[in-house]
Amino acid sequence: MYTHLHEEIETLKLKVLKMVSLTEDAVEKSIKAYVNKDLYLAEEVQDGDVEVNRLEVEIDELALRLLALEQPVAGDLRFILGCMRISVDLERIADEAVNIAERSIMLSSRPALPFHENVREMGSKALAMLRHAAQAFSSGNVEAALQVCSLDNEVDVLNHKNMREVIEYMIHDTPAIERSVHTIILIRRLERIGDLATNIAESVVFIARGVNIKHKLYFDER
Amino acid sequence: MAETVKISSRNLNFYYSDFHALQDISFDMHQHQATALIGPSGCGKSTFLRCINRMNDLIAGTRIEGSLTMDGQDLNDPDHDVVVLRRRVGMVFQKPNPFPKTIYENVAYGLRVNGVRDRDFIDARVEESLKLAALWDEVKDRLDQSGLSLSGGQQQRLCIARAMAVEPEVLLMDEPASALDPIATQKIEELIHELKSRFTIVIVTHSMQQAARVSDRTAFFYMGRLIEVGPTDKLFTRPENKQTEDYITGRFG
Repeated sequence: MYTHLHEEIETLKLKVLKMVSLTEDAVEKSIKAYVNKDLYLAEEVQDGDVEVNRLEVEIDELALRLLALEQPVAGDLRFILGCMRISVDLERIADEAVNIAERSIMLSSRPALPFHENVREMGSKALAMLRHAAQAFSSGNVEAALQVCSLDNEVDVLNHKNMREVIEYMIHDTPAIERSVHTIILIRRLERIGDLATNIAESVVFIARGVNIKHKLYFDER
Repeated sequence: MAETVKISSRNLNFYYSDFHALQDISFDMHQHQATALIGPSGCGKSTFLRCINRMNDLIAGTRIEGSLTMDGQDLNDPDHDVVVLRRRVGMVFQKPNPFPKTIYENVAYGLRVNGVRDRDFIDARVEESLKLAALWDEVKDRLDQSGLSLSGGQQQRLCIARAMAVEPEVLLMDEPASALDPIATQKIEELIHELKSRFTIVIVTHSMQQAARVSDRTAFFYMGRLIEVGPTDKLFTRPENKQTEDYITGRFG
């Protein structure tokens, strides 16, 4: 039997997927804006954040209404809670994209540093994590979600490698310190996008199985 | 508190003539906990409830197989005195059914039929029972008025007080709030939380929210079978069985 609640849950899912699409777009554009020194794209990312924020508020309001009026349980309850968590993570990812776009604008007017390839590689891995997490959410695929969590290590490794390279560069070229610091912050933003994509994947597991796999070490020790 | 099994059902089967109403029901109900029985109409939950105080004995052509024990004693042992059993196992029904007697006499009734004559003792027990049922403050100045003069919610609490006056060990509740308004329902639900510390409660309810709010464990029945039983918080957040999930999320049928 298809009920009013299930119609509303479909609406909720569509809103989250819309937010996913806008956020993926923002991350992709922000990386391109840095790599290609494309000011127009960077500004598009900045302007587009309003829509992501609006969707976060809408999802929050809809979820709150469903919890209050429909008293959902079991899979429905987990789905609504999962969407609330995922929308918070997506909003943060979009903020990270704005941050990257802002630094791209700042760096675009200065002589380029030789880290475009590093950012491109790390950015495409972080973006792939986000896309896989979103697909896992869309299809409710737990195995796909767990794979996203394992990809996070690769992004972390790149983060450390890139940080080291930029620091080395700074040491030998002190006039580039300011640009290097911005680059380090930008790399750190990409690493955070990987972490937040992992959070989304963990929420997908929670929705499907009702288990919390965050802070796994903590639970393993108990 | 350690969980002590109060009532235990093992491979319980129940028949209304040829109709096999309960099929191989096995689970435990713990002392000082509320166990909710949920499921669609005709699933056997009320039949199971009535097995506990042998109310089904009153229906001709019924037959029971398997084991149903309270404190390890077989409830269906022919030597088991049904009058004693029903003193140990009180029951509250869907529709409040006070006797056409005064409020005081409604509560005192069980004591009197059990041969208690001590007036002071009965007075004390009536007061205590009405207090336990959260009704004392509303009726203490009119104990000699008819029980039927009370509102529906008050009548139901009067019936709970009447059931508790003989100090049962188990309280069976068959949809105790389904005929009541939300405020009266809330009072009954609060009462169930209070009463758990003294009694073992088994409640049949059609309201899943009510089962979720008042019970420690929930058993889901469907077509005479026990589909799933477990801690209420687990059953309502991550049930193991697909049929349970479909029923509690309204995807059934």
